[in-house]
Amino acid sequence: MDARKPYVRKVSKTSWFMTHARYKTYMLHEVSSIFVALYMVLLIWGLFALADGPQAWGNWMSFIESPLVILLSLIAFGFFVIHTMSWFKAVPQAMRIQKGEHFIPGNLIIGGHYAVLGGFSLFVLILAGVA
Amino acid sequence: MSKRTIQLEVLRYRPEQDKEPVFQTYTVPCEEEWVVLDALNYVKDEIDRTLSFRWSCHMFVCGSCGYKIDGEPKLGCKAFLRDYGDHIRVEPLDNFPIERDLVVVLDDFMEKLQSVKPYLIPKEEKPVSAGEYLQTPAQLKAFKQYSMCINCMLCYSVCPQYALAPEFIGPAALALAHRYNMDSRDVGRKAREDMVAAHEGVWECSFVGACSQVCPKDVDPAGAIQQAKFTSAIDYVTSLVGIGGK
Repeated sequence: MDARKPYVRKVSKTSWFMTHARYKTYMLHEVSSIFVALYMVLLIWGLFALADGPQAWGNWMSFIESPLVILLSLIAFGFFVIHTMSWFKAVPQAMRIQKGEHFIPGNLIIGGHYAVLGGFSLFVLILAGVA
Repeated sequence: MSKRTIQLEVLRYRPEQDKEPVFQTYTVPCEEEWVVLDALNYVKDEIDRTLSFRWSCHMFVCGSCGYKIDGEPKLGCKAFLRDYGDHIRVEPLDNFPIERDLVVVLDDFMEKLQSVKPYLIPKEEKPVSAGEYLQTPAQLKAFKQYSMCINCMLCYSVCPQYALAPEFIGPAALALAHRYNMDSRDVGRKAREDMVAAHEGVWECSFVGACSQVCPKDVDPAGAIQQAKFTSAIDYVTSLVGIGGK
């Protein structure tokens, strides 16, 4: 006779992330990307407006200059920064660079990413005539 | 050495009498240098011989004594009582069926581990008399970290992906597949690809990263999986443009 009777603990498909702080942080991080996605939609809409001519472009410009959209843009920017930081932090895990018997230190790889980001940002700001 | 008394709250499951697991609290007089495993052994030896739990080496090498201690998966032999309060809760690892008390069912993990062929597949088999398969210290360094896995399964117990999609091969097995794929003496990447590059392989991972946070040997399975994703993506693209087939 088989005396085995393993007990299976159920995992909730809808609230599993409430069981530990690390899962809550993960889910908040994932959910915050909705703001990033919405900002992308806004930018793509702007591109179409640009193609549609001065009238459409003017409408889009006045839309993004409204206080509510500026506030939402600032929130999206905050999440952009958080996602950039967490992405860069994860890079050394996904991209190990070996030189001889040693690996390039993670901080150097992360620093390199920030340097490239800074360079590109400066380039865009110069293009836009801001810097 | 000062004596201290702790309340050890252990999740019990005795299939012949319990419909579901229940907590049982033991009062344990303990020494300053004890770990949770020592307290469990005290219970087994002095209080309740029916308590079941796995352990072997008592020096975090064997990977047998993984339990959830105060909500975090730990090796019982590495969890010092001095780092905990006077009330410690010990449960079996999450995401595995409970066989009895703190003993979980390993079958699923064992099958998955075997499925990724976690052994050296050399280009050509040599007789033992032909000597070792040699490699340089740099070649060893490329995979050594991933070879430190002791199959304690703490990583599976915190992986929400494994909890929600049990077909996921999971962190330790994928890290070990990566370990052999990175080995200069091994040519088995193609043979492991069916499992590793499949949906239930690395692509099921959403990089929560909990596995690497709890790994007692700093294997970083999450990192191994992301690297394997990169290789899998390159393989896919090269096969699309017809230059693959390595």
